[in-house]
Amino acid sequence: MKASLRTALLVSCMLSACSERAPDKQVGVQTGDPVRGRIALTQYACHACHVIPGITGSDVYVGPPLAGLASRTMIAGDIPNTPKNLLAWIRDPHSLDPATAMPNMGVREQDARDMAAYLSTLK
Amino acid sequence: MAQTRLVIRTVAITLCALAFGGALTAYAFMMTGFYNVSATKQHLQPVYSFLETGMHRSVRFHARNVHVPPLDEGMVRQGARLYATHCVTCHGAPGVAPAGIGMSMQPVPGPLVDARGKWQDRELYWIVRHGIKMSGMPAWEFRLADDEIWQLVAFVRQLPDMSPADYAHQVREQPQ
Repeated sequence: MKASLRTALLVSCMLSACSERAPDKQVGVQTGDPVRGRIALTQYACHACHVIPGITGSDVYVGPPLAGLASRTMIAGDIPNTPKNLLAWIRDPHSLDPATAMPNMGVREQDARDMAAYLSTLK
Repeated sequence: MAQTRLVIRTVAITLCALAFGGALTAYAFMMTGFYNVSATKQHLQPVYSFLETGMHRSVRFHARNVHVPPLDEGMVRQGARLYATHCVTCHGAPGVAPAGIGMSMQPVPGPLVDARGKWQDRELYWIVRHGIKMSGMPAWEFRLADDEIWQLVAFVRQLPDMSPADYAHQVREQPQ
């Protein structure tokens, strides 16, 4: 009984290990969880407009692709790519660029931190 | 000759056995419950792309004989009103976020700003009228009249040319 339980546990661990494509465990933005951030990005429909590496979705170019975001010096055209600006942009794009077509998605603060943490793994 | 026939027979039987085995394995896998149906667990990209391409082909095929009426400016205005009432919740609009429900649905309903580039008018009509299975897109033929569906098509065609200000103006201007 014990042995079969152990086997079941082992198998389920292996299954979850191969099904989770966990991003690098580097936390670029303080107190953000990149694993949770990856899911949060899908729950705020970010992938409806942006192609985001590691997130399943369609080929959409309504907004710019986010690949390599962490390596960029600017975001949204001409805004310096600092953790603070990225967070502000995710939460309220109009505070940085009143003319942007990106709507305010009503992202909660912790969700925004987690998203930023995931995006900062996209070198 | 007899040898060729034997080879063909062996290949055919092997292929059948493999196909049957594959189907059985897929069935057994689903019955174990290991497959995670949660909305936070995404499809693998190849699975998603396969389903999406199949959906596109299906719409193209089934909409092939739809007759498109002339779409005029008046229909665009009526369509804007209908869009603001029925569609913006899930699809958003230029400068307008979808409601929480629309944002978190999987597959994501997505913006329709790029719909004109992806679909013909008759296909847009077909999708709105019949809905899309397993996506949350309703069959609007039970909620809207046929000419209202065409008004929506006329409006969605104009979306790519609309700025957030244009959209706000269109919706505000509505007499009804």
